[in-house]
Amino acid sequence: MAVITVEKLSKNFKVKIKEKGFKGSLKSLIKPKYNIVKAVKNISFSIEKGEMIAFIGPNGAGKSTSIKMMTGILFPDKGKIDILGLDPTKERKKLAYSIGCVFGQKEQLWTHLTPYDNFKFFGAIYDIPESIVEKKIEELRELFELDEFINNPVRNLSLGQRIRCEIVASLIHEPKILFLDEPTIGLDPVVKEKIRTLIKRMNKEYKTTVVLTSHDVSDIEKLCKRVIIVNKGQIVLDDTMENLKYHYLNKKIIDAKMKEKINLEDVDGITILKDKDYNLKLEVDLKKKSISDAINLLNTDKIVDINISNVPLEEIISEIYKDGDK
Amino acid sequence: MKKYLYIFKSEIMSNLQYAFDIFVGFIGYAVHIFIFLNLWEYIYSDPNELINGYSMSQMIWYVIVTEILWSALNGRKFNRRISEDVRTGNISYNINKPYNYVEYMLSSHLGITSFRFLLVTILGMVLGYIFLGSFPEISLLGIICVLISCLLATLISIFLIIGLGLFAFYIEDATPFYWLYSKMILLLGTIFPVEFFPTIIQPIIKYSPIFAVSIAPAKLFVDFSITTFLETLVIQLLYLLVCATIVHLFYKKGVKKLNVNGG
Repeated sequence: MAVITVEKLSKNFKVKIKEKGFKGSLKSLIKPKYNIVKAVKNISFSIEKGEMIAFIGPNGAGKSTSIKMMTGILFPDKGKIDILGLDPTKERKKLAYSIGCVFGQKEQLWTHLTPYDNFKFFGAIYDIPESIVEKKIEELRELFELDEFINNPVRNLSLGQRIRCEIVASLIHEPKILFLDEPTIGLDPVVKEKIRTLIKRMNKEYKTTVVLTSHDVSDIEKLCKRVIIVNKGQIVLDDTMENLKYHYLNKKIIDAKMKEKINLEDVDGITILKDKDYNLKLEVDLKKKSISDAINLLNTDKIVDINISNVPLEEIISEIYKDGDK
Repeated sequence: MKKYLYIFKSEIMSNLQYAFDIFVGFIGYAVHIFIFLNLWEYIYSDPNELINGYSMSQMIWYVIVTEILWSALNGRKFNRRISEDVRTGNISYNINKPYNYVEYMLSSHLGITSFRFLLVTILGMVLGYIFLGSFPEISLLGIICVLISCLLATLISIFLIIGLGLFAFYIEDATPFYWLYSKMILLLGTIFPVEFFPTIIQPIIKYSPIFAVSIAPAKLFVDFSITTFLETLVIQLLYLLVCATIVHLFYKKGVKKLNVNGG
């Protein structure tokens, strides 16, 4: 069952333009000129209940604008949005009870209060009876391992602890859909991993649908089974993570350590990415050449060590971004 | 309603964390009162003399009360909070919650103001008593009426400041509106009672929001009568109704124009 359906959604922004210099400033004062920025262009997709999807794209691609329209913050110019059977433009307040949002770069917690007081506050905001809030806090306290700091003022928490509390605050009212906008931004790798594990656990326990935006490919790779890539306001890819990783770019990377220096040049289907001393790094386009072609090119007798891997997801994604720019 | 009470309560809880800092912040208030005390002592050659119907003691208490209202409100910071919320797009994180942004801000700032009001009132009353040696003659009922008037004045002020801040939906920098508003309050509603102005502009001041947000409660405190209170109450309630309606409509219209840059 689809919990989010977006049909032919578009949004334009009017941006004032100014010619350079003082003269330009005066001109724009007398006769202002505007540019229409097409932030979102006719996008359509749907998300099923319990899915964890990555909604990604380069800066300015239109992903946050789309999310803000889905959550009722911005009004679309054209198109239709259906979130859990509700229209965010008309039933924003009603929708608020069923969705949760975490914005990694913004704070929604009261910094002078403790996480516990904050959770009670969010409980009251969502009209949840006190006894149920207490039970929910207890449950989430355990799931998100908050014992150590639940009674310390938020201003004294580390970033990782604060993000955990931000997520918990968004879960107090048991939302059916959780929008996570860069939840791991600025965190160290250990804490990032912890947050990912907790999000996974939450998705498993509560069957919460998660829409994640992040520039950290590991977030996407480790959490999501499906990815929607937007660029220049349009969806450039909507596919499973598996397909993205193994089929979208049919390429492999070969790292080889050689006995002696060999001189190679690019051939059609095999690109030399690195050639330093006895170490070589090749990219093989499997549509044109096979792995054995590449190994033969290296001369098997001279290979000391070899590692064959997929193209990192990060590169695949930036490749898609670049294609979108063309 | 319950959630708005909770917002009010949370704001007080949050402010309690730095009560001492807030109290220190009132040094400016004490300096103002001291300056006005000296000014009026200089103007009144005889403390029992009446100028425009006010004794020196009434004049100083008048300024103490208007300054209490102004300092407790901390309007500049509040105005900046609203316009920054709109300008930076931070308002988004309030829009997707199950409450109305205007009422959220009202409850939140009422919480801040109530706490500040308590602190600055204690300070103002102590200063007034030290400088003047007595309180104005006012009954317990009078004090309750003054407090009601102060509450209504604060509510109207909060709505007005929210309204001025929401201009940020339409223009880049909405702070000049507040600057103008604060100077009008300072000039026409804080330092001098309405009777000190030329007769021709007295009715204008009396029926302007400045009367409702500043002059009325102070005048009640220095010269209380039930008739004045009832008159004041009607004016303040009318202003509250008008301001609340306009600000809600203004917000409803403005939020559709929201332009959130940078994601």
